[in-house]
Amino acid sequence: MGGNDKRKRSESEGGDEQPIEKKREILPSMIKNKEKRSAIHAKLKQQKKLEKRKKAKARDAAEKRALELGEELPAKKIPKTIENTREFDETVCKPDDEELFAGNDADEFSSILKRERTPKILITTCRFHSSRGPDLIKELLSVIPNAHYYKRGTYDLKKIVEFANKKDFTSIIVVHTNRREPDAFVIIGLPTGPTAHFKLSNLVLRKDIKNHGNPTSHEPELVLNNFTTRLGHRIGRSIQSLFPQEPNFPGRRVVTFHNQRDFIFFRHHRYIFEAKETKQTESKGKKTKDAKGESEPQGKVIARLQECGPRFTLKLLSLQHGTFDTKGGEYEWVHKPEMDTSRRRFFL
Amino acid sequence: MPRTSTLDCPGCPPLRALTFDELGLIKVVEARGKQGRAEPKVVERWGDPDSSKCVLAASIDDRNSDPLLAVARRNGTVEVLNPLNGDLRFSVSNASINGVQSEDDPVAGLHLFAKKKSELASRSCTLLTCTTKGNASIRSFEVNKSAADVASTGSSRTWSVGGGGSILCSKVDGSENYFLSGGKRVEMNVWDLESCAKIWTAKPPPKNSLGIFTPTWFTSATFLSKDDHRKFVAGTNSHEVRLFDISAQRRPVISFDFRETAIKSVAEDLDGYTIYVGNGSGDLASFDIRTGKLLGCFLGKCSGSIRSIARHPEFPVIASCGLDSYLRLWNVKTRQLLSAVHLKQHLTNVLFDSNFADEEAEIAHSAADWPLHEDERDEGKTPPVKRKKSKEKKGIKKEAEAKSGNREDERDEPLHEDERDEGETPPVKRKKSKEKKGIKKEAEAKSGNKESSEEYGGKKVKSKKSSKRLKM
Repeated sequence: MGGNDKRKRSESEGGDEQPIEKKREILPSMIKNKEKRSAIHAKLKQQKKLEKRKKAKARDAAEKRALELGEELPAKKIPKTIENTREFDETVCKPDDEELFAGNDADEFSSILKRERTPKILITTCRFHSSRGPDLIKELLSVIPNAHYYKRGTYDLKKIVEFANKKDFTSIIVVHTNRREPDAFVIIGLPTGPTAHFKLSNLVLRKDIKNHGNPTSHEPELVLNNFTTRLGHRIGRSIQSLFPQEPNFPGRRVVTFHNQRDFIFFRHHRYIFEAKETKQTESKGKKTKDAKGESEPQGKVIARLQECGPRFTLKLLSLQHGTFDTKGGEYEWVHKPEMDTSRRRFFL
Repeated sequence: MPRTSTLDCPGCPPLRALTFDELGLIKVVEARGKQGRAEPKVVERWGDPDSSKCVLAASIDDRNSDPLLAVARRNGTVEVLNPLNGDLRFSVSNASINGVQSEDDPVAGLHLFAKKKSELASRSCTLLTCTTKGNASIRSFEVNKSAADVASTGSSRTWSVGGGGSILCSKVDGSENYFLSGGKRVEMNVWDLESCAKIWTAKPPPKNSLGIFTPTWFTSATFLSKDDHRKFVAGTNSHEVRLFDISAQRRPVISFDFRETAIKSVAEDLDGYTIYVGNGSGDLASFDIRTGKLLGCFLGKCSGSIRSIARHPEFPVIASCGLDSYLRLWNVKTRQLLSAVHLKQHLTNVLFDSNFADEEAEIAHSAADWPLHEDERDEGKTPPVKRKKSKEKKGIKKEAEAKSGNREDERDEPLHEDERDEGETPPVKRKKSKEKKGIKKEAEAKSGNKESSEEYGGKKVKSKKSSKRLKM
């Protein structure tokens, strides 16, 4: 028996060379010996790196040659990202869609956006809040003009909606805190407007931002980025209706809501245009050129940004038709887990 | 690996649906195709966008000749249109009758009577409108050649159905003799349309074990079948579906919960016991109302409140629409999404035009039947024995026909896909299987005969057979 085993073993040893070659071709992760595995892995990695460098070199060389010969540069490759390979969505707004504009004219925000009503915002909280909640509200009050803070007390949100309607508020913002950390954000349009419910995360308050600026009381400019679909458009309009429609440009304040992969990033900046003088001193040698360019504005104007105010991220959870009503409410859009079957599907 | 492409929808049989939205637009969605796998498209759009013309209720009378479509708008007018081309026949104001501002008292229910009252002329139509404040009225109109001329004939009756609450749902039964209404703080009431008298009122369910009483708030209602006015289903704001039986008791016979948001629409199936329930967060499900059991949910990334559900009168297809501005067509049997059409506005109503493209449908029937349709036919009308006969015949013929792509196979394609697959296996094996099948068939024919007297015999036999086939 033992002899048999030996023979088998020897046979297997004899035939070892072929399977090893195969293994090398397959994957380093299939090797059980750690040292060998890591060695092979490092080797593979090195190879890949070299290949990559080679490719880049070839590309650069081609570009250089094209420049010298005055030919057209080879087309720059666009990297594939999740955003530009996003799933086709037929609800993306098109600029020639007349129904979209008719719908816009008829929706709840049109009276504010057409400047028939001035936005007046009521900010309140959940029932118990402390720590970072009040700080965030303080900063929101400085961000949003004509915003008023009311203590929540023990009032129902429906009662607050009634109250705000009577006082001619145009929107209500509710900041919800959980474990002393703000975690939800509700925007209610008044009197009939939709209720958008967001998740709030990554909150950085003003005092935690290095070299932060202090905002002035001018009306800010508003930047809304990438709200493309019908739903996104609606959310964008509801955010737009929070701010006054005539920004005070001398104030040089910008509030940005930037949508990327369904996350809405909030930023608040001050900016300044500065004529860069250093360049002029550098370009003393090229005076001939400057003489030509004197008719144009002197020097290069650059914009400098200074962040001020809070920084946070919102994610839409639901958009409800009508004002806040959890029991009998109708939703225009709710996030459901079955929607998350693809990383490339976005709703805003 | 996540799925990166959207689910492909198999398309739907030839049909025509009318959708109504919050800007007062009426859109006609048609699916045309020889094979019954057409992609529905918007073919027409009637009206101009105007939010004051928001469609609140719609009713269609789709008879073969001279069909009519009634549409109630927010500004208080009721328009009667031709559903084929969208021509306005006439429009009447609701406010003039009731003497109330129409903006404060929008229409909650509208019904266009299909049956002609014998004493009236042929070119007339009768409308029942019911407003939120409970003013119900039946009015008849004479339609003259010129569209502007409308003469209201004498039979105009008005009565009040709301007792202090607001009416949210109303329905007229199949025989058009009874009228159902209910709403917020108004119990379900059944009215006799001949005398405009209340014949039955529901009673709210008792307080629960904690002594909490849920206030009455009905949001949708429908009769269970066309012939029976005694049984109806109502959906409530407290996400409950209730079955009422007038002949039994005043309290609901069955009541069950569905998810967490308010029920917004309820529709019945043709078989008289299946109902479709849609709620405020976009969940759509079918229930067997006899037992109150969930048959299944319609899954398709639908996330806007479902405002209206319509059942196609012939094909096993339902349409749902709502605030997500999609018209979705579903297969009733498999609960699969057939197709979705983006209509850009919040939709309020959807209706089927049952007389659409008869000739095309016939072609489709004769050439290659739409599989779902055939399924239904098999289960419903023809007894199971008959089908087996044809199969036995086929068994004999098969050898002869195997070479020439036989017609019968084509016709029965969807049901016998597995048989077709057998064709690829070597012929010896096939013969064996055929013998087996023959034996089984005899046995089944007997059992089928026995069971055909039972209600669901056909189904059972079918499921057995399919399992056996799989084994082979």
